[in-house]
Amino acid sequence: MTPLKQSLELGLSLCRTCGLAVSRASLEADRRCPRCQSRIEHRTPLSSEMTLAWLIAGIVFYIPANLLPVMHTSGLLGEADSTILGGILEFWRAGDWDIALLIFIASVAVPFTKFIAISLLLLTVRKNSRWEQRQRTTLYRIVEFIGYWSMLDVIVVALTSALMQFQVLGTAEPRAGIAFFCAVVVVTMLSASSFDPRLIWDRRT
Amino acid sequence: MNPILICRDCDTVYRAIALRRGDVALCRRCDAVLARYFGADMESGLALVCAAAIFFAIANLTPILSITVAGVETKANIWFAVRSLQQGWISVAALGLAFTTFLIPAVQIALLFWVLLFARFGLRPPGFGPIMKLLHRIRPWSMTEVFLLGALVAIVKLANWVPITAGAGIWAMAALTTVLALLGRCDPASWWSIAPAVKT
Repeated sequence: MTPLKQSLELGLSLCRTCGLAVSRASLEADRRCPRCQSRIEHRTPLSSEMTLAWLIAGIVFYIPANLLPVMHTSGLLGEADSTILGGILEFWRAGDWDIALLIFIASVAVPFTKFIAISLLLLTVRKNSRWEQRQRTTLYRIVEFIGYWSMLDVIVVALTSALMQFQVLGTAEPRAGIAFFCAVVVVTMLSASSFDPRLIWDRRT
Repeated sequence: MNPILICRDCDTVYRAIALRRGDVALCRRCDAVLARYFGADMESGLALVCAAAIFFAIANLTPILSITVAGVETKANIWFAVRSLQQGWISVAALGLAFTTFLIPAVQIALLFWVLLFARFGLRPPGFGPIMKLLHRIRPWSMTEVFLLGALVAIVKLANWVPITAGAGIWAMAALTTVLALLGRCDPASWWSIAPAVKT
C-alpha cells in the first residue's frame, strides 16, 4: 500500500464547507475556495480555545440545569416542582425503568460523556499525544453524533406543559431549569463543532 | 467526479475511485466516511423533498398528541410545545425549540426544493453557493427525530394518569424524520459535485 500522506505534504488544503481539495499554491491572498467561496483554513483557527470556552460554559450551565426545577405541576395531588434527576427517580419507582433509563441517557449520561470526552480530546491534543489516535477520532465522531439527543428532556417538558392544561385535574408549567438545560445542549454542540479533529493527527514540534 | 479526496477528520489525501451503488469509501487511517455513492438522481430527490414538505405540513396542522378529560380536550404539536415554553426569560428555550424543530427543518425543505427543482431541468439554481453553504451550516441543528422520541416519551409518561392519544401528526413526524434522513445522507461534496453538471 502506498504510504498515507497529509494534505500539507502534498501542498493541498481541504475546503471544509464543500469538500474540495485545493492546491495551496493556487489560492489567492484572501484564501477563498474556488468552488464555494468559503475561506480556506489549513486548520480551524483557535479551535482548542473555542472548544474549551464552550465546554466551560456547558459545565457551568449544567449545574443550575440540575439544581433548579424543570417543571411545576399542580392539581389534585397538590403542587410539586420536579428536577431532571427527580423525574428520572419518579419513573424508576413507578416501575417505568425503560423510560427512566432513556431520560437518564439523554439528560445525564450524554452530557457527562460529552464533558469527559471533549476534555480528554483537548488534553491529549495539547500534550501532542500519539496515543490511540484512531480511537480518539472515533470518540470525536461519537460526541458529534450524540450531541443533540439531550434536547429530549426539553421537548418532553414542553409537550407535557402544552398538554396538561386542565383546571381540575392539573396543570404543568416549565421552570427555569429547562432553559439552562437547553443552553447546555446548544453550547456543548458548539463546543464539539469547534473542535478540529485533525489536531489529533498533527505533529507539532 | 472529484479526483482527490481529503479526509475531514485526519487530513489524509486519497485519489478517488469510482463507487458503485451502496458503496462507502472509508479513510484507512481514521475510519471516517470519505465519500458515498451518489446517484445524482434529481427526480427521486425532488420527489423526496415534496414528500417532506407534505409530511411537514401534516405534522404542523394536525395534533401530534391529544388528551380528553371530561369533555375538555388539549392538543399538542410543535407550535403548542414552543408556545408552552414562552414564559418570561424561559422563552430562550422556546426560541431554541422553535429553531431546531420548526424553522430549520422548514428552511431545509424549502432550500432543497429550490435547488433540486432547478437541477432537475439542468439549470444552476440562483444563489446555489450561499444556499449550499447555509444547508451545510444548519444541518446539525435539525432535531425532528429528537422531537419524535420526545413525543413517544410524553405518551408513556402521561398514559399512567390520563387517556392520551397520538394523532395523525405523529405518523407524519415519523415519515418526515425518515425522508429528511434519506436526503441528509449525502455529504456536501456530493451535492457540490452536481454543480458542474448543471449549466452555470
